[in-house]
Amino acid sequence: MFNTVPSVQVDKVLEAGKTSQRPPVSYKKKNKKGDLPSALLFLSPTLIIFSAFILFPVIFSFYLSFQKWNMFSGQTTFVGLDNYIRMFQSAEFWSVLKNTAYYTFGTIPLNMGFSLLVAYILHKKIFGKKLLRTLFFAPVIISPVAAAVIWRWLYDPNFGLVNYFIGLFGFDPVNWLNDPTAAMFALIVMGVWKTFGINMVLFAAGLQAIPENYYEAAEIDGAGQWAKFKNITIPLLAPTTFFIMVMSMISSFQVFDIVYVLTSGGPLGATKVMVFYVYEHAFKYFEMGYASAAAYVLFAILFALTLLQVKYMKNKVYVYGG
Amino acid sequence: MKKYTLLAAILLSFAALNCGGDKNEPSGNGKVEVIFWHSFVSSTIPALNELIAKFEKENPGITINAQYIPTGDALIQKLITAIQSKTAPDISWLHSDFMEDLVNADAIYKMDDFIKGDDGISDEDLNDIYPALRLQSSWRGTLYSLPMEATNLALLYNKDMFKAAGLDPDHPPKNWDELHEYAKKLTIDKNNDGIFEQVGFFVPVFPAAGPQGPWMVWQFMPYLWQAGGYLIDSAQTHVMYNEEPGVEALTLWKQMYQEQKLSSFTTDFDVAFTSKRLAMAMDGPWNLPRYKDLLKNLNWAFAPLPAGPKKQATVVGGEYLAIFKQSKHPKEAWKFLKWMIRPDVQAFWAMKSGYLPIRHAVHNVPEFQKYLTENPDFKVFVDQMDVGQAQRPIDYGALEVTQNVSQAIERSTLGKVDIKKALDEAAVKSNKAINKK
Repeated sequence: MFNTVPSVQVDKVLEAGKTSQRPPVSYKKKNKKGDLPSALLFLSPTLIIFSAFILFPVIFSFYLSFQKWNMFSGQTTFVGLDNYIRMFQSAEFWSVLKNTAYYTFGTIPLNMGFSLLVAYILHKKIFGKKLLRTLFFAPVIISPVAAAVIWRWLYDPNFGLVNYFIGLFGFDPVNWLNDPTAAMFALIVMGVWKTFGINMVLFAAGLQAIPENYYEAAEIDGAGQWAKFKNITIPLLAPTTFFIMVMSMISSFQVFDIVYVLTSGGPLGATKVMVFYVYEHAFKYFEMGYASAAAYVLFAILFALTLLQVKYMKNKVYVYGG
Repeated sequence: MKKYTLLAAILLSFAALNCGGDKNEPSGNGKVEVIFWHSFVSSTIPALNELIAKFEKENPGITINAQYIPTGDALIQKLITAIQSKTAPDISWLHSDFMEDLVNADAIYKMDDFIKGDDGISDEDLNDIYPALRLQSSWRGTLYSLPMEATNLALLYNKDMFKAAGLDPDHPPKNWDELHEYAKKLTIDKNNDGIFEQVGFFVPVFPAAGPQGPWMVWQFMPYLWQAGGYLIDSAQTHVMYNEEPGVEALTLWKQMYQEQKLSSFTTDFDVAFTSKRLAMAMDGPWNLPRYKDLLKNLNWAFAPLPAGPKKQATVVGGEYLAIFKQSKHPKEAWKFLKWMIRPDVQAFWAMKSGYLPIRHAVHNVPEFQKYLTENPDFKVFVDQMDVGQAQRPIDYGALEVTQNVSQAIERSTLGKVDIKKALDEAAVKSNKAINKK
């Protein structure tokens, strides 16, 4: 019933390196028909939850995006493409899109750079490696609301630690959460802090998969630290980097929880991002149709971006196994 | 077959656990349970429990199950989902801005159904309720709820700071000019580093898109009225907040906000007041029970809001109770609402909770009169009920108008946009919203 890929096959793949041949695997085929009912039975909890909470809302949202519905009444009114037209004509929508782009392209480089650095350092033999890894991962599991409350205090213009520290270096206190430009920066810093732990763990796994003998071979040839990093680590990390980039882009575009608690989309809408915009129209103005349309536009953007990334990376990244 | 039986057992128990009974089932001993949704802050809960105990003693067949829902967005969202899923409560707190939606969804009873019924209320009793509250309990002239308590806005100030600044602590500012002048005197930069250690008056500007946006607009209203302005015309065809009085009121806010550099100040005015960094702020009576303990290290008092160029006014708020059509016990729910407006019950509730009574007759209750002499701060609020502006709520698009005004306030104070421009742009959006029927 189960496919078995003996570990010796995986090594063959690694040695094969940049080929796209499928590694030989052995299948143990059983009579498929008899397996179906039990398979369905085991899958049913997940299938039910998936259909109810993911599949149905996705389809219903699409339907709603062409309707007008304020959730109080049981009726929806068909409005065709009106929601979409209104959205593309709304100056606020474009500014929200811009804010989301700022946030995404602000966090991704910082996030990836920082997490790679930390993963690389912790990959060496450092004292307290495991403890450090746990500490760095901790922000990921802290509730975003609790984290935002703490960061609000850190950013407080009069009492906050951030202004205290920059004051030690002679800088004037910055109004982090009430100044439109500073607020986005403050949000990016908090966003990176909250999520770099995940990428660090992924990079650590990717680093671990690089065989030692490559480094040893390079050392014999007289390569220094930077040369090794540039010519061995980075290329062989490519699949991990690609994966992290795609996932980070998607999750940055979808940021909501920290925005809601830290800035409420302010000041003056400077940190209002796409998902906050959807939330506002759905649960403050009760325009379900318009909010659904906005959510679908977000989906379309992410889909296009991901497609672009995949196409661009296809030739440059060799994913194990073809 | 063992794995199938185990799996089947798990699935069945999962299903069984989720088929719980519905909330409105009467409890075992034959009593009727009335579900009551409210947003009372935790310091009011002890008073609420006493109130409920009193009601249950007088009405032995009924128990009130009070459930807390955070106010504002959360309350509206929970009500919507409850109505759609047919799990609406029997009674809930309500505000006039979403009454329109509840009426359209045919979710709440008209109060006349009960008032004119056998267990009704006399006209005399109804007319004794403050007009501002009657207006806000109705939608388009029809009464859909009854007020439970009232609130208004007054001026909280620190007497010690007044003395230190050379001001008479028993003479709080009486008008806008004095407010502005005192605020300047009370804003102090002790070490000349450009940061004010003490701020005179908290101008309540919050992010418009956030949960405190409506609260900001509510506090702006007295200033609009005191300048002689109105939110909307009486026929409700167009908004009026962008006319001269609105500009005047917002100008006062903007000046004080920028002079006191409030953009670098905390938005938790009660924290600032408690830690002696703020001299004056606006606040409601619901904090009185909390302040008695919290502020015992400083000399504080409440004063009526300073009067504006055209008149004295304050904004009246309150919590209104409505009965939902999905309720299985409307008669019992009505008993609670009717009981709530009795003068002696109002006096009891006011004295315990710090909320204000909803009708004049409460003044005739002797315990209440005594309470007023012993609690001058509370008396300030009660007296202000007479200058509470009675404003008919907006029929259509109330939520949007509130949003537009809050954006205009944020843009002119924090955003430094020209006041008239910000108000006009908001008015354009509001006029569309109110005429959208």
